Amino acid sequence: MDYFAQTIVLLAGLFPKLVAGFVTTLALALAAMPLALAFGLLLLLPRMEKRAVFVIPTVSFIELMRNTPLLLQVYLIYFGLPLLGLYPSEFACGVLGIAALHGTSPTETYRGAIESISQRQWDAARGIGMGRLKAFRHVILPQALLRILGPLGNQLIILIKDTSLVSAIGVMELTMTGKMAIERSAASAEIFVAIALFYLVLTTTVGGALRLIEHRTAGRY
Amino acid sequence: MGSRREFITKASGVVAGAGLVLAQTQSPAAAQQPLPEGRFKLDEVRARGKLIVGVTSEAPPFGFIDDKGELTGFDIEVARLIAKAVFGDENKIELFKQGFAARWPNAQNGTVDFGIMVTTVYADRALQVAFTRPYIESGIVVVVKKDSPIRTVADLNKPEYTVAHLTAPVQEERGKRFYPNAKFLTFDAISSQFNAVKLGRATAAQLDAPVALYYAKDNPDIRILDEWLTDVTGNAIFLRPDDFKWWLFLDTIVAEMLGGSLWSPYKGLYQKWFGVEPRRARAIQTTNKG
Repeated sequence: MDYFAQTIVLLAGLFPKLVAGFVTTLALALAAMPLALAFGLLLLLPRMEKRAVFVIPTVSFIELMRNTPLLLQVYLIYFGLPLLGLYPSEFACGVLGIAALHGTSPTETYRGAIESISQRQWDAARGIGMGRLKAFRHVILPQALLRILGPLGNQLIILIKDTSLVSAIGVMELTMTGKMAIERSAASAEIFVAIALFYLVLTTTVGGALRLIEHRTAGRY
Repeated sequence: MGSRREFITKASGVVAGAGLVLAQTQSPAAAQQPLPEGRFKLDEVRARGKLIVGVTSEAPPFGFIDDKGELTGFDIEVARLIAKAVFGDENKIELFKQGFAARWPNAQNGTVDFGIMVTTVYADRALQVAFTRPYIESGIVVVVKKDSPIRTVADLNKPEYTVAHLTAPVQEERGKRFYPNAKFLTFDAISSQFNAVKLGRATAAQLDAPVALYYAKDNPDIRILDEWLTDVTGNAIFLRPDDFKWWLFLDTIVAEMLGGSLWSPYKGLYQKWFGVEPRRARAIQTTNKG
């Protein structure tokens, strides 16, 4: 059998396993994404406060998460929580680690976008009798969200790729499934290329969808 | 790999054939003459004044880089013991770090005098290189926490238990054979497997016997099950397969370490790295009739 046919046979045999790994990767990403976005918004309030008592701990936390490797954070959550008597599953620890890291980066993006909305918008909203929170929710946030679609999309794509790091704590996602298969077949290049294609499908789909939304909403507000 | 092996077989056949022709044309007297100096590795090593040994730096406690940045481990120190046997000085040694795939060609082509790097003896490997007798026994064992109710491998076969495996598929296969009802958890590092047991993330883990001893030495809350998952295998020194004099020397040294004149230093090393006394190959004949 020639090399090409051999590779096809190998990959065809592995396909069900790789799909199972891909589903886990997808589940990780789908669980972590909304959590990360919500986490980012949650941190936004204390971050945009003027008083140091709110800002300093928030900024410290954001910087700590943004400036340490995700692998380290995942290890710390997975092997650290048992010391406190907590045993969340591998999957939960992975989602938590990814969401915590990728939740802090958008906070700065959100903040930049909100600060970029003209003061007049605030003034106008307040002028027609809206409260601060109502003005934020109905006038400022929708405009800001549109401005951050691009950077947010990039963040989500990085998030998808980062799910591979969770393999270190025993989550049988796509990369881990591939690693196992390689130990058996020693066909590293072939399997890694196949895995890369799976990731590529996922990231281009998400990237494309976001670009579509961006396109559709272009010019609004 | 197959084609390379064929090539080596054919090439060695040609060499052997040529040797046969030479032997037939030589007179009996000429065959009795001493061999030229340096023809055997042993002569070459003695003339050079130091050993060149193939080792790994990636497999604690056998060969790894310690806190001070120095290459150390059980295999390294056994190699130093051999240097001492040749030169009377354990520092007359050059440690040649090599990858696991490179160990075979490097031994065959003489880049290293021999290799000592957690190498299990298997029949297919013995076709490619010569092995001395094993200098340490190995095999796969199960570690659990000291206070764990698990006593035998069969005890693990319940859905409420989790066993930590390494990415090596053979571990998963053993799991399916010995405790199919337990949950499996797979890591890509031995340290993660061990930590999972220690922190209660997993009930048990499959480890190499000497590695398990090494971890258990510094972690009294860990216990190794008496029952092993595999047969006993051996880690041995490997060298080029066509140098009888060199092989005989190294095998003799290993035999002496396992229970003869080098037993004491060998036992000291074993205890230092694994915390227990090795099994002595030669027992002392008791003179006490009572």
